[in-house]
Amino acid sequence: MIFVAPKPKSEPKKLKDDFWKAKDIKISIGEIVEKEGEISEEDTPMGPTPKPHVTDLRSWDMKLLGRYEPFYAPFCDMCCLCTFGKCDLLNKKGACGIDSATQQARIVLLACNIGTAAHAGHARHMINHLIEELGEDYPLDLGLNIDIEAPITRTIIGKKPQNLGDLREVMGYVEEQLSHLLSACHTGQEGSNLDFESKALHSGVMDDLAREVGDIAQIVALNMPKGDEDAPLVEMGVGTIDTDKPVILCIGHNVVPGASIMDYLDETGQEEDFEVCGICCAAIDISRYNDRAKVVGPLSRQLKFIRSGVADVIIVDEQCIRTDVLEEAQKKNTAVIATTDKMCLGLPDMTDEDPDVIVSKLLNKEIDGALILDSEKVGEVSVKIAKILAPEREKLKKLPELDAIQNMASECTECGWCNRVCPNSKPMMEAVVAAGKGDFSGFEKLYLNDVCYSCGRCEQECERELPLMSMLAKVGEKLAKDEKFNIRAGRGPVQDVEIRRVGAPIVLGDIPGVIAIVGCSNYPDGGKEVAEMAREFLERNYIVVATGCGAMSIGEYLDEEGKTLYEQYSGDFDARGLLNIGSCVSNAHISGACIKIANIFAKKPLEGNFEEIADYILNRVGACGVAWGAYSQKAAAIATGVNRWGIPVVVGPHGSKYRRLYLGRTDKKENWKIKDLRTGKVMDGEPAPEHLIYAAENMEEAIVMTAKLCIRPNDTAKGRQIKLNHYIDLYKRYYGRLPPDINLFIRNEKDIPITYKKDVKEILEEMGWEPREIPQEPSLMGMEDD
Amino acid sequence: MANERVIPYQPTVIAGPKQALLVTPETAELMIKKAKRPLFVLGPLVKEEPLLTLAKKIAEKWNLPVVTTADAYKSFKDQGLNSTAYGVVEIVNLLKDPEWQGVNDEGPHDLVIFLGCIYYIGSQGLSSLKHYAPHLKTLTICKFFHSNADASFPNMKDEEWMKYLEKMGSD
Repeated sequence: MIFVAPKPKSEPKKLKDDFWKAKDIKISIGEIVEKEGEISEEDTPMGPTPKPHVTDLRSWDMKLLGRYEPFYAPFCDMCCLCTFGKCDLLNKKGACGIDSATQQARIVLLACNIGTAAHAGHARHMINHLIEELGEDYPLDLGLNIDIEAPITRTIIGKKPQNLGDLREVMGYVEEQLSHLLSACHTGQEGSNLDFESKALHSGVMDDLAREVGDIAQIVALNMPKGDEDAPLVEMGVGTIDTDKPVILCIGHNVVPGASIMDYLDETGQEEDFEVCGICCAAIDISRYNDRAKVVGPLSRQLKFIRSGVADVIIVDEQCIRTDVLEEAQKKNTAVIATTDKMCLGLPDMTDEDPDVIVSKLLNKEIDGALILDSEKVGEVSVKIAKILAPEREKLKKLPELDAIQNMASECTECGWCNRVCPNSKPMMEAVVAAGKGDFSGFEKLYLNDVCYSCGRCEQECERELPLMSMLAKVGEKLAKDEKFNIRAGRGPVQDVEIRRVGAPIVLGDIPGVIAIVGCSNYPDGGKEVAEMAREFLERNYIVVATGCGAMSIGEYLDEEGKTLYEQYSGDFDARGLLNIGSCVSNAHISGACIKIANIFAKKPLEGNFEEIADYILNRVGACGVAWGAYSQKAAAIATGVNRWGIPVVVGPHGSKYRRLYLGRTDKKENWKIKDLRTGKVMDGEPAPEHLIYAAENMEEAIVMTAKLCIRPNDTAKGRQIKLNHYIDLYKRYYGRLPPDINLFIRNEKDIPITYKKDVKEILEEMGWEPREIPQEPSLMGMEDD
Repeated sequence: MANERVIPYQPTVIAGPKQALLVTPETAELMIKKAKRPLFVLGPLVKEEPLLTLAKKIAEKWNLPVVTTADAYKSFKDQGLNSTAYGVVEIVNLLKDPEWQGVNDEGPHDLVIFLGCIYYIGSQGLSSLKHYAPHLKTLTICKFFHSNADASFPNMKDEEWMKYLEKMGSD
């Protein structure tokens, strides 16, 4: 189906020429809104770029790209995209004329487009489904505390969405832009790496929009928590699942099938008789819908849990699902139901079939699994089949005994290839060799905290064909029984009232930063590192927000008293608050919170006013994302989107494989020029934030860099002291000395943290430091080249 | 099998037709001798003994300016080796700029020797230099074959690797 963006009621193109931009003039557009027979007029101050086309924010992008030059790390020297090649781009151009840097930028744009399309496809599915169920006039009511319910939509589209129908209009715009962005990837189109990057940034913001639409729709229509700081605690961990009951496992990102299962159980009074659990964001979202749903854990649990055989039925929807899920499930006689057009798995379409007939065909193995595109039917079929399969599968829920594992392990030839193909270079061979001697401690170390994230590459290389993942799952079985945690259900957006409370301390620097722990699991050294990073920043009065796999990994960390961080810290958007915002689509509320700060605290108009808002965030809002794990194109799109809003991101060492970073150069003073909007003076600035997307080699480096990237030009002296105090403190801990670049962030003596006054002054003296002027309203707007 | 020593340690890292030249400690030393402004980059995988001392000896024998990545700075400082701390992506970003005057501001480096960076991020950094820094050579003396470098030690077991490093650090 092709969706076309509806014609705008206003004529935005007239507002987008250079004259209006140069003068930074705001115009009020009288919009006629027809509602229930009444005609009302609403004056909306409109900025210069409502519904921007691919190139309309290019000037902002070029400002960012001038400061934060793209750093490319090719995976491959070749371009293998068209039949004109293959072309070797190592110090050569391809047959089409493309060079290596431009090709890398093209691949990044392609990755961002894939990520954006994944969220857009999801959001479109959600909107269409909910409109079919509830009608397009269904209102977007996020409760009394949230008036600015769609800050991204308002800023980009230039319109406050009132109902589900308005969200559909937003999706039309996203899809239109996405088709232009994807077309630029075609051979013989864009020829500049910077323009590819500008398009990738636009794609990232389209991703932001799609996520906002998807999450707002599901919050209002499925009555998920609406910015609730006291969202209920939900059970998490393999140990919380009662395997004596039929178990239905949902994998993916789309809440609709899982919600239908919960509804069917409730309607038929069987809610106490079944276990419904989830892996990845489907788990988060189902538990936002119904807190009886349990969270198995992040993405990194997938193969281990499937191999354990605990699930009687696996429901797959879309994104982040093992593509061999059917094959793996069949080994354990677990039924598989596919539920979306994104993943049909070659299964017969049973959507129009009678539920009992589907159950019968599945039980009799007439079909390998079923594709059911009707969510209500998914609910009924999955419950019915789980009920029948569970008693039959009792024996299949058991893995081989430990002595059998030892026998298998003793066959290892120590070829070492399991280690070589491990993405993390973890010591699988050593674990197997020890297990062959009855010592399972190596396997245990790999199992705990998902140090081995069970991708299964090692198994494929094993010359003895040892089922290494099953062996790992067995050894971990006794540990899994203790895996009982609590995660706070995803709360959704930050309330306006919370923004009012903390807007000033964040902008001025009294709250040292907002750390967003997001992205995929598959961490370089297990999930514990993510939780340790969260704890470190919570103890230092930062606000920590989390989504998706990151939110789950944080919940798997217990203190000495056996409490999770969610139980120790409040869910408020305030200093020392730990917020599970929700699933990956809920990431939109993180950039949304930063946008709301600009609007609520600084009174910046949102509608059609992207550049001013992004400029405000870049220079004033000390937020930093941390995406520690490795995996998806969605993560690439999310990070690139938040980068365009002026929010830096620290990624883990695998993040270098996204192939492009945006790195600042502190040795190039001219890159950090800034304009004081109060005086109109262009002056020397500071590298704050120093990078826009940065790959850290290990956790220690990431923690220090994250603290540094929360520094902003607008910090007050008190705020800067607080931020530098943390930066220095952390640098000293991990590097054993004061940061050698401290002089860059001391604007005058008032910025020096009292605790380190003497030491810092000595360094400044050695470096010949001199105080410099502080801009009152730092900005990248209105510079000479604008 | 002989070829197992000279395909990338993580075999999927293979990037294209150009592969690194296999070097022994002797040829690696020749590369250092020939270089006018070499740089030694030490990563977090060598911040424990005995690698710490071996790396320090090599730096001292060849009088190499040292950059430490991640948090390796502290361990080497505790051992009395002064270095400049950069993130691995930061130092690679600087190195690929032919105008950058080097860690001591004495002019662009012409050889970079890597030891102890995490394999896959190291490989990505070497790929950056392979593509965008034709003005310098890269040499890796890790126990892994790095096909994205200009020259690399082969894949080795620890024992053989230690001997290689000892050779490079002894008079």
